[in-house]
Amino acid sequence: MADAQFDSALDLLRRLNPRDTKKNLQAITSIVPDLTEDLLSSVDQPLEIRRCSKTKRDYLLCDYNRDGDSYRSPWSNEFDPPLDDGTVPSERVRKLEVAANEAFDVYRELYYEGGVGSVYFWDLDDGFAGVILLKKGVTPGAKSSGEWDSIHVFEATDRARMSHYKLTSTVILHLANETESLGEMDLSGNMTRQVEVDLPVESDASHVANVGRLVEDMELKMRNLLQEVYFGKAKDVVGELRSLASLSEASKERATQREMIMSMHR
Amino acid sequence: MASTVDIASSFIEGAPPGELADVVADVKTLTSNGADIIPSLAPAFERYNETQLATVKLPGASQEVLISEYNKLDGNRYFDVESQTSFEVDHVTQEASAAQSYVLDSQNADLIKSLLKSLGAHAREHYPNCAYGVYPIENDSAVAILLVSNRYSPNNFWNGRFRATYQFPVSEPTTVTGKIQVDVHYYEDGNVALNTNKPLNLSVSSLSAESIISRIATAERDYQEDLNRAFVQMAEGAFKGLRRQLPITRQKVEWEKVGGYRLGQDISGGKGR
Repeated sequence: MADAQFDSALDLLRRLNPRDTKKNLQAITSIVPDLTEDLLSSVDQPLEIRRCSKTKRDYLLCDYNRDGDSYRSPWSNEFDPPLDDGTVPSERVRKLEVAANEAFDVYRELYYEGGVGSVYFWDLDDGFAGVILLKKGVTPGAKSSGEWDSIHVFEATDRARMSHYKLTSTVILHLANETESLGEMDLSGNMTRQVEVDLPVESDASHVANVGRLVEDMELKMRNLLQEVYFGKAKDVVGELRSLASLSEASKERATQREMIMSMHR
Repeated sequence: MASTVDIASSFIEGAPPGELADVVADVKTLTSNGADIIPSLAPAFERYNETQLATVKLPGASQEVLISEYNKLDGNRYFDVESQTSFEVDHVTQEASAAQSYVLDSQNADLIKSLLKSLGAHAREHYPNCAYGVYPIENDSAVAILLVSNRYSPNNFWNGRFRATYQFPVSEPTTVTGKIQVDVHYYEDGNVALNTNKPLNLSVSSLSAESIISRIATAERDYQEDLNRAFVQMAEGAFKGLRRQLPITRQKVEWEKVGGYRLGQDISGGKGR
């Protein structure tokens, strides 16, 4: 039963308005409290920003840097509010995490020209795992806004001179516009894609480059996909609902075309 | 804290176009620990059907008619002017039954019938799959014009709905007020929704069906053109401002240099210490 309820909860969140995912997630868990933990770790929500009190740099909050009610800053490796026994990565994985944060900071500046990013790694029995978070908001007009949240979760499993990477990427993209002639327009949602690949690993440095390239390729793919769905597919469906051109003219044209083809075959 | 019925009701009312049955199935599973909740959600189903302009097939007919607060009779009965029929609706199953002959009793009956004729012609020209209706409202002092167009393609993971709701007082000149709402849902490997709401305020000098429908047709065309432009503006504006397709150098990140350089110091260098 619990499995069926979990599947139903995910199906429901995939159908209800993606703008309201946070509210609907809370509503579902208030009906079925047992699902809370599983849903929080499998449903992606827009990322929240917090300022690291030690370094004065912003970082992003997610389930992976949370311990109880505290969140770990990737810059200081400390929890806020402070925890004496908060879960932190091993020394080796923390070094990788620091290097990845530096690399993705460059990546963020090159592609997002602003925004906030955070990378969190944790140890696995046969490797390590991590999440790369990127967030950017824009307000090109008084009543026009956009928000992008990237959430890339990966596992790197050790193999001989190789590592097996499994990457699950979600982008949450909210766009809204309101003008006199347009009225209100809200185009919001999220899309998820997965990829698995084996890549050579010479040293720990290879991991950062491998994960970096995987995320970079994935984001390029997803950006193209989002562009296609948000501005192509959605617009096409509007055209299916209402035809700008006269339908009788269109069917007359089709009939004329058919006649022409028929006469050519005669 | 909101009750289970309140929460389940908000899920029903939030169902995207063409996906009510899927949402109902999910709600049933999520509430399966208790008694059957569906009967207590009847008011939510009714609100959903009336605001979404749900369409039902008249018994023994292939034609679809819409239901709304404007063509509601007593209980769960609604009427359709064009087919001169009243019918009962099961709000949970969206099925119509107990059809009866219904003769419109309105001093504006002629105007309403002419509006239906003009609206029908307009609908056939621009809406491949739609239902519409014209009804007397506000004690026969005003008229409501409704149109809903649905396209469902669950096999391709998309569904859409276009709703237009207008009303105007029976006076000359008159002002048609209303709104156009478009909802599109795309859910292959994700969940993407387009929701729009465009309020309209249209002055019409003559109280003839032709002028009113022609004014509405122009407003609908203008809106669709505005919406099409808005897609392009969003793609060129906010979307581009969020994330570049490629860095300004037109080259991908050189990860060995970005990460590797620092890694050389931080990790390999660190090991040697």
